[in-house]
Amino acid sequence: MTMPLKLNGRLTIEDLNALPEIPIEGITYDQMYIEKQPICPEYIPPDQDIIPSSKRTVVIDPGRICMPFGAMWAAVGVHKCIPFVQGAQGCTTYPRYTFSRIFREPVSIATASFHEDTAVFGGRKNFIDGLRNLIIRYHPEVIAIITVCSSEIIGDDMEGFLEEAQEELEEELGPKILDEVKFVITHTPSFAGSHVEGYNRAAAAFLKTLAKRTTPNNKVNIIPGMITPGDIREIKHILKLMDIEGTILFDISETLDCPLRLPQPMPYYPKGGTRTEDIVNMGNSLMTFALCPDQGGAGAKYLEKRFKMPATIGPLPLGIHSTDLFIKSLAEATGKPIADEIKDERGILIDAMADTFHYTMGMRVAIYGDPDIAAAATRFCCELGMEPAIVGSGTESKQFVKDVWATAYEYDRKPIILNGSDMFEWEDYLKKDKIDLILGNSKAANVSKEADVPLVRIGFPIYDRVGYQRRAYVGYRGGEYLLDLIVNTILDSKFPDDRVQQ
Amino acid sequence: MAIPEEYKLKCDFTIPERYKHHVLTNRKEPNIPACNVKTIPGDMTERGCAFAGSRGVVGGPIGDCIQIIHSPSGCAWYQWGTRRNLSDIYAWAGPNTLCNDSQNRRRAVTSDLLEKDVVFGGMEKLEKTCLEAWRLIPGAAGILIYTTCTSGLIGDDCPSVARRVEREIGKPVFVIDSPGFCGVSQSTGHHHFNVQFYDQVVEYREKHPEACMKEEEKGPYDITIIGEFNMDWDLAYIKPLFEKLGCRVVAVFTGGERLGNLLKIPDAKLNVLHCQRSCTYISDLIKEGFEVPYVNASFFGIEQTAKALREVAEFFGSEEMMEKAEQIIEYELEVISPAIDFYRERLTGKKVGMYVGGPRVWHWQRVMKELGMKVVFGMCTFAHEDDYEKINARAEDGVFLVDNPNEFEIEECLERFKPDLFLTGLKEKYLCRKLGVPTVNSHSYEKGPYACFRGMVNFARDIYEGVYAPVWKFARDKDFI
Repeated sequence: MTMPLKLNGRLTIEDLNALPEIPIEGITYDQMYIEKQPICPEYIPPDQDIIPSSKRTVVIDPGRICMPFGAMWAAVGVHKCIPFVQGAQGCTTYPRYTFSRIFREPVSIATASFHEDTAVFGGRKNFIDGLRNLIIRYHPEVIAIITVCSSEIIGDDMEGFLEEAQEELEEELGPKILDEVKFVITHTPSFAGSHVEGYNRAAAAFLKTLAKRTTPNNKVNIIPGMITPGDIREIKHILKLMDIEGTILFDISETLDCPLRLPQPMPYYPKGGTRTEDIVNMGNSLMTFALCPDQGGAGAKYLEKRFKMPATIGPLPLGIHSTDLFIKSLAEATGKPIADEIKDERGILIDAMADTFHYTMGMRVAIYGDPDIAAAATRFCCELGMEPAIVGSGTESKQFVKDVWATAYEYDRKPIILNGSDMFEWEDYLKKDKIDLILGNSKAANVSKEADVPLVRIGFPIYDRVGYQRRAYVGYRGGEYLLDLIVNTILDSKFPDDRVQQ
Repeated sequence: MAIPEEYKLKCDFTIPERYKHHVLTNRKEPNIPACNVKTIPGDMTERGCAFAGSRGVVGGPIGDCIQIIHSPSGCAWYQWGTRRNLSDIYAWAGPNTLCNDSQNRRRAVTSDLLEKDVVFGGMEKLEKTCLEAWRLIPGAAGILIYTTCTSGLIGDDCPSVARRVEREIGKPVFVIDSPGFCGVSQSTGHHHFNVQFYDQVVEYREKHPEACMKEEEKGPYDITIIGEFNMDWDLAYIKPLFEKLGCRVVAVFTGGERLGNLLKIPDAKLNVLHCQRSCTYISDLIKEGFEVPYVNASFFGIEQTAKALREVAEFFGSEEMMEKAEQIIEYELEVISPAIDFYRERLTGKKVGMYVGGPRVWHWQRVMKELGMKVVFGMCTFAHEDDYEKINARAEDGVFLVDNPNEFEIEECLERFKPDLFLTGLKEKYLCRKLGVPTVNSHSYEKGPYACFRGMVNFARDIYEGVYAPVWKFARDKDFI
């Protein structure tokens, strides 16, 4: 065997094809150089008049995904729950791709497989057959029935279909089958809202369908919203330190971040997720916290109305102030004292802030994300002495505007707020302003490179880096992690190498 | 021939109609499973929709158009910079800078249909969307409009909008009508794109003869490459190979291509057809309409790439070209032999399972053989009869085949056949890895390109990394089970 050839530098397509030998390790990405060709010879500026999204119809780079996706996210957080999507196959396959990209985990979602005939005659047969096939092979404990644009437009009567399906199931498999599996219907036509609303509707639907009031207990309910498995672990950690029993709906911490331990069950089910009996029991809790007002608030409001259960809706406990509020509310609701360990954790975050304010103060930040995350990130930036310059939310939300204004007023900042805007508009503001740092999801990565402004990744979705789904941003320890990310990014981009240490 | 009893998967006892989709390969009398038929609802299929086939696969790689999705924003979001169909055409990000990602992947443009549009119709909105997008993303060569479930069901007349916009902007505006619920799989979307794009190209050429290639520009060895989507820059090896042979590649349908070149496809002398599932349709149409023949080709592995070169040379009947082909093949083999020998030595005897959309399952039978690996089962999402004929012809006898497999069948096959490696896509990748089976992403690749002689080294390397990664040793440690 000849010695492996070592390649240095960047090879054009021509060079690659002229190499006399391909080395054992193949050609790596960093060796391959593709020359960019401009779409047209000269730069033509976009029409400035219609850049603000309020002045146009077209949406370019939407910061929101479809409503069913939010409902699927929720359902994936329930133990042995399989979402059943009443629509075409793409409505299942695309979300599964998205989950896999973000979490690097398998996600099982069933589809009614709409074809032309279904669009004409309705989805009744596909639904009834589909439920039967799913139950008989997978034995799920819950099936989250999720509608999409097509089934809503053709007017599928899901409640009626489900009654019929249950009758047929009982006939084929005996009456016991209906005790073994629960059904929750969530209506999520994407033309009526985004993933944020999908999660919200799923929270309400699960509680309406399953929660019961029997014997009150001392638990608290937590509806986390679309935050990471790491975030949910952090919430559990806080509850543990406070010696509080809680139910988390929807608990993706052990369904979207699972160990590789052989052998696995077949069919594969992750071992985690909120148990059905715990959801039933959520009617008996002391109170409900919906951490994200727009993602889960509807669930807390339902319990409040139905069972007169006090509800605390937002803010997301990210940063000092919002985590303080969360901890205090927890203590008040349960009568438990604030644990000493928690005070230490808070102290460590405060200590980290005290050590780093020279790096963060005055930095101008552009923020983009789902409304609850963007509002929470804005507040934390202000707490670090940074200046939020542009804050955008992909999904329109009154609460988002209210929260950002409250923060801005408190810290005397004047950010541009883009409510329910697309990233095209946000990007334009960012590129014209002098911005030091971006806080946003992976969809902001191109903008970050083009505008040469560093990006700190936060929110949904993050698919171009590993490990973010395992980390917490919420709680004091999450704040510590986010602070480290922010400061290290500033050190990387704003400080000369000979001045990064003191 | 029906699947023998001992091969019947346990997970399908309760949905026995699935057994029609299972066969064992046979070279002499090919066994064709039931295929290209409706999916059984609720069976946990891996299939996608027609929109994914038209926008995601065939139309997505076109490099210099604004691609508008007429839908609520979700469908556009899912198509935004996801598939690794790369291009070197970049929009301007500012006066002196180009964007960070190529035009076909950089942006998601949508009419963002809302409830009121569903009730009152979305045509006016679509027209505004097109005209505004044209002002906001300047410099594009045209507009492609895609319909989805929502716009398909509300019945918007998109072609009439396209005609008005085309008059307004003076550039081609094509409509691809392929809502997600059409057909049985993404394969329908491929078909729709082929036929509708072809029709509109022909119509445009008739109205705008200046879009055709002028007689004096035509060369004797002009070819196109049809059904090649430039996954992870496969074209970096495919195109130069034909140029070395003496051909001129006029256009690629559609990998990273400019619309202007796509309009000239009928002016070539020969179409070289790579993806014979998604693009045979347009090749047939061009053959009928313009009398331009095509040859089927595969650019994966040594034997098949060599065969493609020889057949193109033979088509042109030039002695010189045929000689050239032999020289290229001989030289390229020298270039890759040390690396390929290294990997063959380490991969010989390893068992591989394969699950790709359709054609790659037959494209790669020979490649696996060239690496010394043994294919133990194969699965296709949307293959048709001709694909299964090709698999039967290329595989060893008795390889277990599954048409349109579902998640449970994949799990059971992994357990039953215990492959050392599974070639599969992104959604299935993490399931398999969770079950302790290494995978190589066979749609978008791990670290490509994989095509032609030189790309095969990357492919072999990624397979080797999969099989030999130290992690599997830890995962199987009995003390921690």
